[in-house]
Amino acid sequence: MRLFLSLLLTIPIVLALGLGSAWYMIAAPRAGTVEVGAWRALPAAEAETIDPYTRARIARTGEIAMAAGEGLTFVATHDDPGHDLEGNCEIHLVADTAPARLWTLTATGADGEPVATPSKRTHMSSREVLRDGNGHWDVVVNATARSGNWLPGPGKGGVRLTLRLYDTPFNLGSSSLPTLPKVEQRACR
Amino acid sequence: MILRALVWLLGVAMIAGVLHIVTVFGVPHYAVHEPWDELAPFGPTDRFVALPRVAPGVKSLPGLDPAMMQTVCRFTLGKGPVRIRVTPADVYWSLSLYDRHGLHVWGTDNRVTGQKAIDILVANDVHVAQLRENAPDELEDIVVVDWKAGDGIALIQIMVPLASMEGEIAASLRTASCVPTPLG
Repeated sequence: MRLFLSLLLTIPIVLALGLGSAWYMIAAPRAGTVEVGAWRALPAAEAETIDPYTRARIARTGEIAMAAGEGLTFVATHDDPGHDLEGNCEIHLVADTAPARLWTLTATGADGEPVATPSKRTHMSSREVLRDGNGHWDVVVNATARSGNWLPGPGKGGVRLTLRLYDTPFNLGSSSLPTLPKVEQRACR
Repeated sequence: MILRALVWLLGVAMIAGVLHIVTVFGVPHYAVHEPWDELAPFGPTDRFVALPRVAPGVKSLPGLDPAMMQTVCRFTLGKGPVRIRVTPADVYWSLSLYDRHGLHVWGTDNRVTGQKAIDILVANDVHVAQLRENAPDELEDIVVVDWKAGDGIALIQIMVPLASMEGEIAASLRTASCVPTPLG
């Protein structure tokens, strides 16, 4: 009877620890990545060097990852102070420099699926962003249209920002990393 | 009592660790999202098919950049090495070769090649040996990519800087070919 009781207690603990830790590592990119401010880099999915966690994550999502030589993909789901990005807030990206010669910025729902916006725009790129005289730029992600650099985003629920840097000298192994835009949230409704 | 608790903790940690490792290595065997199969509805193998632009409610592959236009070829090496040729429009583009699980193997872009066109031959060990023995003249200037698997996915991504350039860029992607080229 005592053995039965202790097994009844032990088995759920073992399952929770083993499966829980595996889920934690696979659900989001955690192995082989770096963080820059609110941004987290997606690890490269190179067939020869891929780690088991990234392999398992990619097998689940079926996503096509950017090649290491091509550039870097950064994802943000929270702002600089650590609050989750919400569609009912004005999300401001503030940058001093261009992080790469060519970059693109996408705002999606928290699941990464593009959201329908009235203007049909789903992304913004370094080609179209307006900079001030010193090369500074900022982008507002919000469902409501505004002047300046505006990227339509989801009106409600969580938001995921994806910043893809092409043609960049940086890679995940380099000791210095690009300076990425600051992420702030204002005027939450 | 303390000893028994320690043994219990150690046992729990070890079994949980084994479970962790088995789960992580097991997931790829049970995962259903294989890019090779996900791409099958878009068109046949051994030719490039244009993927729809990433947009709300449009079925494409996850993780693709909506600022880019994509065309993809599922190639097979059964009928000989595969020759991939394209002359993309003069904007940023990249060609990436993935295995059927979506893991990246080889790639190039317009900055690396410094030229306007791609011409590569994807060949396995047997093909490479045949090529060494008896190299056709026209293959002299071609990059030969050593390929371990029997099949793979070629993905061309090209930047669409302005919506008005979409037609021109799509037309340049239609020049892409991905043809098994039997040797000798």
